Order: sequence, then C-alpha cells, then structure tokens
Amino acid sequence: MTKHMVDLDEFRGEARTWIRANLERRPQSDARAAGSDDRTPEEIAESRVLQRKFFEAGFAGISYPAEYGGRGLTPAHEQVFREEAAGYITPDFGGAGHVMFTAIGRSLLAHCTPEFLRRHIPKMLAGEELWCQFYSEPDAGSDLAGIRTRAGRENDRWVLNGAKIWSTGAHHADYAMCLARTNWDVPKHVGLTWFAVPTNAPGVLVRPIKQITGSTGFCEEFLDNVVLTDDDVIGEVDQGWTVAQTMLVYERGAGSSGSAPIEPRILASDLVAAARQAGRADDPVARQAIARAHVNDYAQYHLGKRISALLRTSSKPQPAIAAYGKLASGTLGPIRARLAVEIAGPLGLLWREDDELGAATSAGYLNGRVSSIAAGTNEMQRNGIGERVLGLPREPSFDSTKPFSQVVRDARNWSHRVG
Amino acid sequence: MDRDVTQDQRYLLDASARFIEQTYPLERVREKPFRDADWAADYRRRAAELGWFSMLVPDEFGGGSVSGNGAVDATLVAYLRGGMLQPGAFVATNVVAHALSVAGNEEQREKVLAALMSGEQSAAWAVGAPAVHGPVGGTVQAKATGSGYELTGSTSFMVDADTASWLLVTAEVEDGVSQFLLPAGLPGVSVTSLESLDITRAFTEVRFDRVQVSASDVVGEPGRAAEPAARQLAIGCVLTAAESVGAMDHDFSMAVQYAKDRIAFGRPIGSFQAIKHLLADTSLLLEMSKAVTLSAAENLGTDDGYALESASIAKAFVGEHGVDLAQNCFQVFGGIGFTWEHNQHLYLRRLTTDAALYGDPAWHRERLCRLSGL
Repeated sequence: MTKHMVDLDEFRGEARTWIRANLERRPQSDARAAGSDDRTPEEIAESRVLQRKFFEAGFAGISYPAEYGGRGLTPAHEQVFREEAAGYITPDFGGAGHVMFTAIGRSLLAHCTPEFLRRHIPKMLAGEELWCQFYSEPDAGSDLAGIRTRAGRENDRWVLNGAKIWSTGAHHADYAMCLARTNWDVPKHVGLTWFAVPTNAPGVLVRPIKQITGSTGFCEEFLDNVVLTDDDVIGEVDQGWTVAQTMLVYERGAGSSGSAPIEPRILASDLVAAARQAGRADDPVARQAIARAHVNDYAQYHLGKRISALLRTSSKPQPAIAAYGKLASGTLGPIRARLAVEIAGPLGLLWREDDELGAATSAGYLNGRVSSIAAGTNEMQRNGIGERVLGLPREPSFDSTKPFSQVVRDARNWSHRVG
Repeated sequence: MDRDVTQDQRYLLDASARFIEQTYPLERVREKPFRDADWAADYRRRAAELGWFSMLVPDEFGGGSVSGNGAVDATLVAYLRGGMLQPGAFVATNVVAHALSVAGNEEQREKVLAALMSGEQSAAWAVGAPAVHGPVGGTVQAKATGSGYELTGSTSFMVDADTASWLLVTAEVEDGVSQFLLPAGLPGVSVTSLESLDITRAFTEVRFDRVQVSASDVVGEPGRAAEPAARQLAIGCVLTAAESVGAMDHDFSMAVQYAKDRIAFGRPIGSFQAIKHLLADTSLLLEMSKAVTLSAAENLGTDDGYALESASIAKAFVGEHGVDLAQNCFQVFGGIGFTWEHNQHLYLRRLTTDAALYGDPAWHRERLCRLSGL
C-alpha cells in the first residue's frame, strides 16, 4: 500500500490516451433490447480477445490486487476508466460479465487462498476463464440457504449431485462458482460449501433456457457425480454462508460496476424517440410519462452515489444499505418498462419486421421485471432494509435452528403444523 | 441528511438545531400560531445571527456561505427546519435576498438587502407571472404609466407574508416579465390571511389594486426578469424540497418507532411483512429524496449547467413522494393518526402543502420537458 498510487487525473489522462488509440467507437445504433443478456459464441470470442488487450495494457481489474494480475488501484479509478470508455466498444460478456468481475471475483478475493487466486484470477482478468454462478436451484431461489445440491466426500474427493438454474451466461462460461450442501445434519446456514466447478467436467450438463423474449441469457445445469478435489473448495468447508453474504452484498450493487456510469442529464432519449415516432411529443400524457421516467433515472443515479459514499465513509459496516440500490432498480425498472409501452402506444405492440421501436419496446416490457426478481427479489431487499437498516423485528423462523434434513421432512407436512 | 459536512457547516447546523429546540420546538409549533409580529421578529433576528438569510448573498454584499456553496448550506438548514416544522419566511427571504444581490439597485441593496440579512425585516415573494412559476401563485399585471408602473392582480400561496416588510413582485408586462420591490404597506396593497390545510405556517393572499410604483422600484431590467426569476424559482424549489425532506425524515422515524413499539397478535407490528415492506419502500423514497435534493443544491450553488433542471427534478420527486411518505406513515399509525394530539397530521398537512408550493410535481415534469428542449 505504500507504493506510488497514480492520482485520478493522471490516470484519467493515461486511460483517455489508451482508449483513443486502441478502442473503436460504439456505433450509434447499437442499442440492445433492454435487459438482454443474449450473446452469440462469436461475440463472446471477440470479447475474450478484447479483454486480453485490456489485461495486457493494465486496464483489466483496475481495482484488483496487482499480485493477481490487477492494477491495484481504487474503485474511483475504475469509475474514471468507465467514464472515459463510455461510447467505446469494451468487452461485453452480457449479464455474466458484471457478475464475474463483481460478485464472483470479489468473493473469491475475500475468501480464497493465495494459491487458488494465483491459479484463477489472472486468467479471469485476461478473458481466459469466464466464470458464472451455480447458485439458485429449481427448489431454492430467495431461500438460498435452502439449496439441495449435495457434495459428498468419497476417497479424499468431493462428489457433487444436483440441479442448478437461472445461471446467467453459463453456456459461455469455463468455470462456475457452485453452492452445495456438505452437511445435512446441521441447520441450513452451517452446512454449505462453495466449489469451483469446471463447466466441461464429466457429469456437468449445461442447458440454455429459452426466455419469454425468445432469447437465451441463462441456463439450467445438471450435476451428475461431478468429481472435485480440495483445491476446488472456495473458502472453508461448511462455512459457505459467510462467502454467500459477501457475494450478496456485491450482487446488490455495492460492487462498483453496477450503477449507471454517467449522470443522466439527457431527457430519457429512448422514450423521447418513441414519443416522436408515435406522434405524441406534444401529448401531455406522454410528456408526463417521459419526465417521470427521467426524474426516476436521475434519482436512482444519485441514490447509487449516495449509497457508495455511505458505504465508504460509514463508521460501522452496514452492507444492508446496498439493498437500497437493488430495491430502487427493482421497483423503478418495471415502472419504466410500462411507461415505454404507454408512450409508444400501438407502435410498441405491433410492428413491421424492420421497425426497431416495436421490437425494442416489447422486449423491454417482457424483461421489465428482471430487476425486481433476478439476483434477489424486491421482497428480499425489503426484508433486508426493514430488519438490518430500520431495525424492525424479524419474522418468526421455522427452519433456522433444526437440522436441514428435518426441515425438508417437516415442510412436506406443513398444513398440519400451522396453528 | 447523512452527508459529510465541513467543520463550519457542523457549527452552523448544531447552532441552528439548538436555536430551534430552544425557541420553537414542536410543542410550540402546535400551540402558537406564528402570527404575533413581535414574536416573529424576535425569531427572525435570532435566526439571522446564525446566518440563515445571508447564505445566498455573495461576500461583497455582506453575505457569505460557510462552505463555499451557499445553496448546500441553506439546504442543510432547511432540512433541519423542515424536521421541526419551523414557520417563517425562510425560503422566500432567501429568494428575495438572492434576487436583490443579483439585480437590486444600490438603494435596494443598502436599504433592504442589509435589513433582510440582519433579520430586521423579512420579505415575501409575490409570484404573479405564470410563465415563470406556473399556475400556483397568481397573476399580477404591470402597466407602464408616465412615471412608473401600475400593478393589478393578486397572488396567494405566500408563507408568513403577513409579517413581511417587503414584497418582491414578479409581474407580467407587455413584453415580458418585470420584478418590483415594494413595501408591504403601500396604498392599494391588501394582505388577507387565509385558512389552510397546513396549520404550522400562516398563508396569505396579497391583492394589488392599481398600486402605483416608480421606475426605481424595478429590480433589474424591465421586461427581462424571466431568467432571474427562473433561478429564484429554482432556489425556492430546492429549499422547499429540503424542508420537505426534513419533515419526511422526522415523520418516518416516528412511524418506524411506532412499528417497533406497537404490539398486535403477540408481536411488534413491524415484524409483519405487510408493515415491514411498506416501511422499507417508504425509506427508499426518503433516501432517494435526500439524494436528489442534495444533488440539486450542489448544482444550484456551483452554477452548474443543469441547475434549473435538477431543481425541477428534486421538486417533482420530493413533492410526489413526500405525500406518499406521509400517507404511508399514516397507515402504519392506524387510528392514532386521526387524533389531533398526535403529530402525524402536522406532517401530512405540511408535506401535502409543500408539494404544491413553487409548482406541483406535474407542473415541474412539464417544465423539465421544456427545459430539455422537448
């Protein structure tokens, strides 16, 4: 830490020079359907090449430790780079990219051995190892600690069996950070362990899921006697919940890459374009809707800045306030998607094949609830804020103190046990 | 507002909080209508000693901020005031002081501006040009006469203007907007007290019946006041939003405490998700309100190119969600919220009125479209 830390202005100059000399401008018409994580194998391959270029120039993992291939600078430097790179083509791994460099990367840094980190982090930053999460299951989403994938011990090896789902970008990933149950005879939070699973290991089946928009951003996976070693354990055996806590904080946006990089000062340009095309630029109803969206965009951006500042300066650690950012996007995202449909009117619902507005509005509408469900539902954020920020009493719990095997049995007879 | 403050800002805020606590705590807000002129003058003078009316006036005219950004200083004070539902023409006096420092002639600056900053006198802003401030307020027309102007019309929605010594009138003229500074007692000016939803402040209507003013009463260039008045409006919006955020914060913490204390079905009601989730959503609105208001204050004080827009954004957001917050807290309080004795209704009244002051949310959304070239 005593090393010379390049100051922000100096770094901005360096970044700007490199970006202008090495990156291509993003074409104006490159507007993807909102929330779409769909990337072709070719796009992923191109992004890997570009990521390598960033890595070699010292612009990958700007706030990652230098001993693992990062630059060893601060989140503020990362933000400076993002500001400078806005408008240029940068590596784009879809939703998986954000998860990889925040939730996954940060959790690994916080909980893994130096050997593990030396083995994986440089490759991750260089685009050689793309990571995803094996996290939710068909029977466990919000109740993450209730997962049922089993990791059993057999002759100094671990053997994994189970099913995972909603894994963003798993079909492009090389590794997955996978949560499994290693002890069924203890309460649910204390029998969990994380593993690094190579997606091409024997017994791993990754199956892309076709979404309501027709595109494919996430997958389901089946683990059938997948064999791993102790080297693949992330953190401590049976202490997986500690790692999960770190991960959830980053997933909710405490990680720096999540918020909009630039203060929104231009009136919701997508909605203005829609209103113009629909001939409603003078319609007071449409104008109110446009302004409402912009006011929310602006408020959401400044909320993000406020939360980052509070997390930085607060005397006591309070990771729960990261839930505000997630709840803001979870409540305002769906509203914005509906406003877009209202503004576009029929043009958002019916379109000729070559008309972008209709397709984009419809896709945005169908994806409108991504932010209120994915990576922690609004309800989970509300519990977090209510209990850990406002200090409201917890709900009674029916499962947190008994062995997990018993929880599963009791839940089957639930209707007889209530009251 | 949970924001990093400088040492000097901390002094200002601590002294202001003490002043409010000693002079006009909530119990007095309830019992004492702020209509006793002597009492109001005493409150004003003591507030002025803290610098409450100097923050938006540059050093060269005797004003000054403590942090270098007077709009942020004033916003932090307004937040404190709002929490304790303080009366007085704080917002309007600051608007008028700012307007005089920008465009007042020498006499107006020496005679009036100095008296406003020292708290000897107070001012109200009579907004009578709907082009500037929308339908809230009223309309005043200024007709050129041989030697000056004749003002006719009326404005309402003026906070504690019955004790004001000066009126800054923003009026329509043939070729634009003009502003005039006149003593409240001028012949033809009549001030009428109004009943109001908000009982923590006094509201008045001011009528102008062929009021004769001279050319030297004009503030700035005749016919060219639309631009400075727009900036005055932005100040009014940001400070009003800040007072609202203070009120929101106080009302909300009362509701959270109640949810922890009140027992039903064998549990504190705050343990039920129906209540817990409502409060979580409400606290998100509060946090976002703080964020937009502080951002707008920063922009205002730095003469940022987005100052007018972000003032309208703050007013639209806080206006709408301040009312949401008061309604949600009311729901958490249940029956007790209907009682005169409980403070909840004072906050509901205040926040609902604040939402309309200086333009309601819908008007500011439309204004934002216009400012943005749509």
